[in-house]
Amino acid sequence: MTINTYIDHTLLKPTATEQDIIKLCEEAIAYEFFSVCVNSCYVPLAYQQLKHSKIKVCSVIGFPLGAMSTLAKVSETQTALQEGADEIDMVMNVGFLKSQDFDKVKNDIESVKKIMPHNTLKVILETCYLEDHEIIKASELAIEAGADFIKTSTGFGSRGANIHDIELMKNATKGTPVKIKASGGIRDTQTALEYINLGVERLGTSSGIAILNGETSNSNY
Amino acid sequence: MDIYSFLDLTLLDASATERDIVSLCNEALTNNYKSVCINSCYVLLANQLLRKTPVKICSVVGFPLGAMSTAAKVFEAKKAIEDGADEIEMVINIGLLKSRNYMALLKDIIDVKLAIGKKPLKVIIEINKLSKNEVIKACEICLDAKADYIKTCTGIGTKGSTLTSVKIIKKTIKDQAKIAASGNINDIETAKKYIELGVESIGTNPEIKKSKAKIVSKVY
Repeated sequence: MTINTYIDHTLLKPTATEQDIIKLCEEAIAYEFFSVCVNSCYVPLAYQQLKHSKIKVCSVIGFPLGAMSTLAKVSETQTALQEGADEIDMVMNVGFLKSQDFDKVKNDIESVKKIMPHNTLKVILETCYLEDHEIIKASELAIEAGADFIKTSTGFGSRGANIHDIELMKNATKGTPVKIKASGGIRDTQTALEYINLGVERLGTSSGIAILNGETSNSNY
Repeated sequence: MDIYSFLDLTLLDASATERDIVSLCNEALTNNYKSVCINSCYVLLANQLLRKTPVKICSVVGFPLGAMSTAAKVFEAKKAIEDGADEIEMVINIGLLKSRNYMALLKDIIDVKLAIGKKPLKVIIEINKLSKNEVIKACEICLDAKADYIKTCTGIGTKGSTLTSVKIIKKTIKDQAKIAASGNINDIETAKKYIELGVESIGTNPEIKKSKAKIVSKVY
């Protein structure tokens, strides 16, 4: 199996420099990862580095709290797409979900999807803050709102993905074309394979190279 | 001195609910806090509760990483003002600072400042992630961009403010901008130490009230 094409090669820490992003892109080309996943300020730079390659550019939106106003998420998405992003990873509004204001949760996602009908939208649920029933509800809302993927974690919360959360999400996507991205704390080959065997179709990690080399990285994302 | 007139009652957790925001606003009104500081998705709700009261609404922007595109920060700030925010608190682009791309860093702040007109702009420089030289450079760029306040920390994922860092900021900016501090300031005594150094705005959480109750009970 070629794990590399499952991987969004990710660098989201706020101290990442332009040089770090250039290196990330070079690694993505060398290892043929699916994409690089960056903060929206670095989309133009990543696009410059990758425009002659097959590697896609993925921008996070409303990251990592998901508590930005809906219109600001839409604006951030619009700019990222204009600047060369192929895919968008937005964070769900966890506060609205916890307030049981489900219409607002859905509207937040629908408003973003509306301006990118032909691009892939991943919705991060941030499962570390959710009860099981909230993970199920969040998955359903994201699916109804037009998400192409539901994604477990930002990597900035209290923990990353785990098997239990992925199983709940997998169950919620049954009978739909919606896919699953696992992220947060994926640092070795065994974990990556375990998730892929559960049906995960994309992995978000900063440890892609270690995973391919059969090593364990100490990165948190 | 009315300590509460220096305090920004802050709730920025991803999982904060509408009910939590209502209770934050009520707490701010009851104890005459200077402002509430919240994520931009809750500015409309806070405005419904605090309009026509002396308590100001402060919205964070590009929070907490500061790594959002400039255009998105500008839009988030504009929308927050439209929704009723009185102040904007943006996070500096730390990556650009560390890349020494000072032009892009300056533009990030200037564009937000221009977008919000006369409303006060606080710029969070996230001191815990910077070297001393980077703190000084960040302060100089904030001054060039006409920031109204320089703020120490986001209070998320870092150990927070120190008195030493405030002294470095004060020495760099003198009286050309105000200083705001947050992160790890959870009792009245600590808040007072920052105020004595010249800090004019302090981000804190409702726990600070309990600390005051303790102090009062000691005195009496």
